[in-house]
Amino acid sequence: MKTLLWLRKSVEKLVGSSKGFSSVVGTVFMVLVVMLLSTGVFLWTLSQNTLYNQAVMQKNQTELDRLNEKVTASNVNYTVAGNLVSVQVALQNQGPLSAQIVSLWVIDATLNKYNFSSPLNINMKPGNTTTLTGANAIKVKIIGALWSDQLSSWFVTARGNVVPPQSVGGLTVAQVSAGIGSVSMDFSSFFYYNVSITAPWALSPWLNGGNGYNINSKGGDVAFKVRLTNFDYPQKRDITLSSHSIFWALFPSGGTQQRGAPWFIVNVNNSGIIANTFKNVTLPYGAPTDIFFASANDMSAGFTGGQKFPSMGGVIPGAALVTIALIGQIGTPPGTPPYGQNLPFAAIYVNS
Amino acid sequence: MDSRKMRRLLHGRRAVSAVISNVILMGAVIAVSFVVLVWARNQSSAYNNQYGNAVSADISSLQERLTFEYVFHNRTGVYVYLMNSGTVNNVTVKTVYIENATWTVIPTKSNLKHFNGTNIADQDLDTTEQGYFVLSSLTLKAGTSYSVLIITGRGSSFENTFVA
Repeated sequence: MKTLLWLRKSVEKLVGSSKGFSSVVGTVFMVLVVMLLSTGVFLWTLSQNTLYNQAVMQKNQTELDRLNEKVTASNVNYTVAGNLVSVQVALQNQGPLSAQIVSLWVIDATLNKYNFSSPLNINMKPGNTTTLTGANAIKVKIIGALWSDQLSSWFVTARGNVVPPQSVGGLTVAQVSAGIGSVSMDFSSFFYYNVSITAPWALSPWLNGGNGYNINSKGGDVAFKVRLTNFDYPQKRDITLSSHSIFWALFPSGGTQQRGAPWFIVNVNNSGIIANTFKNVTLPYGAPTDIFFASANDMSAGFTGGQKFPSMGGVIPGAALVTIALIGQIGTPPGTPPYGQNLPFAAIYVNS
Repeated sequence: MDSRKMRRLLHGRRAVSAVISNVILMGAVIAVSFVVLVWARNQSSAYNNQYGNAVSADISSLQERLTFEYVFHNRTGVYVYLMNSGTVNNVTVKTVYIENATWTVIPTKSNLKHFNGTNIADQDLDTTEQGYFVLSSLTLKAGTSYSVLIITGRGSSFENTFVA
């Protein structure tokens, strides 16, 4: 009872007294202010930490993607023509993610020179294979590069991975006529020329010539130019063509007998003049080389008089099969075994 | 009874000063409280901004990634070819170190250039952008392995080794 009374009196005093009332109000305000501010700061810090954690997760995902990216480069072949190094390669995306190839670097370790091709923008879906051969091969300019130089290369992807070649391949079937030998013919560089009536035996129109698949001889003599590349791998030996090498066209005739016309290999100088004598022609490894066929006879003894160039006059205008028989040797002395290859896959049409 | 009490309260002059003083004190307390509230909010806003900027900078730094496409050394210097393979733009090359097992040098660095040799106008690499710079004033021993360490403007570091 006494306690109750005492409590009642204390409360009445407290409520009734105006002393310290402002302090109470101020304290309440302060508490509210502190709570408000601390809540704001706490929530903001939480949101920033969440953002940071998300960024870390994204970074981890990016690194994981980079590790999972798997692009392989196989069957790499280098050919050198002029100062251009041509890189033929088969790229395969073996990973689960799409890949973008950004650049190709080529190093010539012999010359201590390098160059690159960028941007490439080769995009590959998972499992895709991209074959860069022929006209699609990537060309990189390295001044002074030779077919015999030590060449190496690598690709760089957009994720920052470096793709070195897995294997330096030898022949690729697409590069060689049905894979039947070491020499490949460039079917886009097959031309014919009209031969002048009198000596010096000049080819016209020089230098470009006419399309070798469609001939307008106008009754005159013609010569042919083919571009051959030696892909002897892995030995990378030179091939030397002798005077017996022949470009042979077989014309079906209206009668029972078919007509064949041979064009033997000749030397042609930079002005388009056929030499009167013959020196063996070398096909260096990896270097596209122009070979001319013009003579009606084997040039081992040069032009020996009589008919110098195959006559087109007796040939019925029409289609003809062409086969190129390459005869010579492979390798450099001493020890140069004989070499022979037939390139049968060409055809021509004679208009006149 | 109650209305009489009320009239007495309203018309009585006793303890008027106490009421007025209380009102004044409360008003002062509330006013000061508001001032304190505004000041404290400003302070916490400033803190939030700073914290937000620091986190944002850390996030950008995380997103940076430089790929060394090729590092080549000859008599004219060390050529460093780079690509920004990260997910953030404006990656700048702040400092470059060349080091081996025993020493570290900061060589002279050329401007950042495109692969075709022209200067990169903003001197930074955006995503998938490629560029290179040349380090000169170096004497390196042929056949020795060195490291090139790049510190970006955001503080990330990337390192690659090469043989001189």
